[in-house]
Amino acid sequence: MNSNETAELNRRDFLKGGSFATLMTVLGGVELIGRSPAHAADVETLVPFQVKCGVIGLGTWGREIIATLSRLKTAQVAAICDTYPASVKRARNSAPTAKDFDDYRKMLEDKEVQAVIVATPTHQHREIAIAALQAGKHVYCEAPLANNIEDARAIALAGKAANKQVFQAGLQMRADSQRRFLLDFIRAGASGKAVMAHAQWHKKQSWRMTSPNPDRERELNWRLSKDTSLGLVGEIGIHQIDAMSWFLNGRPTSVTGFGSIMQWKDGRDVADTVEAVFEYPGGARLTFESTLANSFDADYEILYGTDAAIMMRGNKAWMFKEVDSPLLGWEVYARKDQFYKETGIALIANATKLTNLTEKATDEASYTTKPLYYALESFLTNVNAVGSAVEDFTANFGTGDKSALEKYLSEVKLQPTANYQEGFEATVLAIKASEAVAKGSKLALPKEWFELA
Amino acid sequence: MKTICLLFVGVLAWHGASLRGADNWVRYTAQPGGGKVKVEGTSTVHDWSVESKLIGGFVEFDPGFSFDNARPGKVNARVAVLIPVRQLKSDKTKMDTVMYDAMKEKDHRRIDYRLTEMTLKETPKSPEGPFLFDSTGELVVAGVTNKISMPVTMTRVDDDKLKFSGSTSVKMTSFGIQPPTLVGILSTGDDVKLTFEWLTVRKELPAK
Repeated sequence: MNSNETAELNRRDFLKGGSFATLMTVLGGVELIGRSPAHAADVETLVPFQVKCGVIGLGTWGREIIATLSRLKTAQVAAICDTYPASVKRARNSAPTAKDFDDYRKMLEDKEVQAVIVATPTHQHREIAIAALQAGKHVYCEAPLANNIEDARAIALAGKAANKQVFQAGLQMRADSQRRFLLDFIRAGASGKAVMAHAQWHKKQSWRMTSPNPDRERELNWRLSKDTSLGLVGEIGIHQIDAMSWFLNGRPTSVTGFGSIMQWKDGRDVADTVEAVFEYPGGARLTFESTLANSFDADYEILYGTDAAIMMRGNKAWMFKEVDSPLLGWEVYARKDQFYKETGIALIANATKLTNLTEKATDEASYTTKPLYYALESFLTNVNAVGSAVEDFTANFGTGDKSALEKYLSEVKLQPTANYQEGFEATVLAIKASEAVAKGSKLALPKEWFELA
Repeated sequence: MKTICLLFVGVLAWHGASLRGADNWVRYTAQPGGGKVKVEGTSTVHDWSVESKLIGGFVEFDPGFSFDNARPGKVNARVAVLIPVRQLKSDKTKMDTVMYDAMKEKDHRRIDYRLTEMTLKETPKSPEGPFLFDSTGELVVAGVTNKISMPVTMTRVDDDKLKFSGSTSVKMTSFGIQPPTLVGILSTGDDVKLTFEWLTVRKELPAK
């Protein structure tokens, strides 16, 4: 491309605004704040492929997954499964044409279903995820993978062995291209040296669900019993803690936990208010707080660096620069949001464009820009890439040469997501953190615990 | 008169059922990992290319063909090549999506080639040296068939393998493909260059 063409391109997108965003998307760039459909180019309307999915486990999260899949044109929710008929009925509202099952084994026998999403309570993941892999399905298994290390290891090893299939762990932030953008930004030194990190998840709610049927009520409240639940730090915090480990580029060497039942004294034995401190090899510590007794400031993560603090809320992020940090240049024109006395520089692509100055900092993320959306989108893209590679390869060369197929598959480019290894490590961390919280003590985390083999 | 078979690979079409040939034709079959095809094009913004390592098909020689005593002239051979379109990829998924749509991949899943005529131009100067051929064949893309001519190089590898390479230029519009345009962003050029490398291995044909 000669310099005239470059000048042409720059002038054209300066004038056209929105189409640059599309060009960035087409060329592999990323935006932190989702664009409305009006900005999308024709390429967004193409449906390159469709993957028939089955969702097993139709509780709150299972239904959220179905709602997200219904907004992905590459997904077709072909089957839904739950042991509880009322859940199936409720899920059917978002998936009117799906076949329904009350036994996951029957769903796995259905040849039409190519990929399966396991969204049951954590302690039920193992049997279902492994059976799904053995049935030849591609599997997206929610995080934490399991509530004990033995089960987590079994699932991860099964995912590793199924090399003609996609296995993705439900750590959706790892698949979020917006977070990846931030990762590069931070690794490039924008925040200076990371000295501290903080994450919180606050929401005043009981977690207790009721049902006329006492057995069903016990099942529904698996989160409130220490036999089945990893509590706030393991079931909820796992995502934020794993994301911070990712940004801090290391695994914690110890975790110290505290927990108590401050508000919901209803016979549960899982803490409703927890704090956990994780030590990282570089010296930085992550403090995690979560409570079901207060909602102030909901959930966010902050990375404190010597040059700037970076705050992340869902798919939005801000940079708070120190007075003595070097000038990056672009921030002079960038959109800024006030947080009491702090000025946050919004970290979004095209931060200086006029159009962005009118968007409000508190605008809710739509379904199509939440991390879960990106995680499922990447899952489907990978399922299509791997599935079609296996199909085309065996159509031409047969099934005789397994190592040749493995080699061909190893060269298939995949969207970055959380794989069996990352899923396993995050799950081990969640399990150990939950233990520390229950004991109110410090636990060392030797690195052998995170090794799979 | 000795006939010489020449095989070459570019993009070949599968003709299985109709190739009920004479006995004793020697078949060289595509091997996994032995092929690479690249399609290169231009646009108003930047050049682009897609690649695939999956080339299927085979090459067959007339039993009278002899590598050691080959002479320039017409050659008897059969070539069938197929390339699954969805395995052609660049490093930009969205560009690939646009390409598959332009090539109507959902209805025409393969690029096919079948040889119609081959002529040996130059014999090798040394045992590992290349045979140079001129070929004519039919290339089928997005359901449209066009005759294409292409020079091809063949070299012997070990005792039982043949490696082919070549390249040709075609116009997208000649196959009924509209060069994709992203409105307000870029439009692709009509001319594309196809380049291939293909390793085939001799298999004995079952007795008929």
